[in-house]
Amino acid sequence: MNRSLVIVLGTLALGMVMFGGSYAVSRHVGERCLTQPGNDLAWLRQEFHLNDAEMARIQKLHENYLPQCAAMCQKIAAKKMEVEAALNGATNVTPVATQKLAELAALRAQCQAQMLRHFTEVSQTMPPEQGRRYLAEMQRITLGLHEQTEQSMSISAGDMHGHN
Amino acid sequence: MNPDDAKLGALLRASRAAPALPPRFQENVWRRIEDAEAPVPSTSRLFWLDALVALVLRPRFALAAVTVLIVAGALLGVRDGSQIARRDAQTQYLAAVAPAALR
Repeated sequence: MNRSLVIVLGTLALGMVMFGGSYAVSRHVGERCLTQPGNDLAWLRQEFHLNDAEMARIQKLHENYLPQCAAMCQKIAAKKMEVEAALNGATNVTPVATQKLAELAALRAQCQAQMLRHFTEVSQTMPPEQGRRYLAEMQRITLGLHEQTEQSMSISAGDMHGHN
Repeated sequence: MNPDDAKLGALLRASRAAPALPPRFQENVWRRIEDAEAPVPSTSRLFWLDALVALVLRPRFALAAVTVLIVAGALLGVRDGSQIARRDAQTQYLAAVAPAALR
């Protein structure tokens, strides 16, 4: 092979290695520096540029909300098991099963309403513009994916919530 | 043979058959001479590679290229890393406040 061609190809390979190495290292470093494991609210501070006072108010709301959310999740999980029991072995949807399904839907709606109330409260602790953006973003994420709701509800009852 | 014998010389020249020259013979000869003396145009692949190698091996160019590659890679990496961190933080917040069953 021509010597010049070898040099050009070698230079290109070396350039790619240097670029790729620099990219990989800085991506890893950037990711590690900006990630705050264990801090659920880090995203709010970063995304909505909140100060310490606003974060303190949100932290309090957050801590009050978590037990309510967990309790609601347990109710939904229990109701889901009742629905499964009512449907188990049945060849038709019995009136009992229909009743349980309606109760499960009501619980889900209640949980969603509670969640949206929490989002509204959080948005009101933010500056108006950031609050509107936060509320819109949370509604988009939590209400826009109903098909995932139905799928995730079938997952085991004990693993229904993301709480640690 | 006497070289000074003009008569004999004329007879010998007359006896030699001179072939007819092709058309525009003289013009073509001069053109070939000019072409041979002109510098060879360097458009071949080898010339390009050699020129590129000469450029690449210049220390100033090499240093600049290395700097640009490393800085570009670092900037792109930091940008992507911060996006990943942001997405992870958002996922963590959503997992806390919005049960997966309701999303």
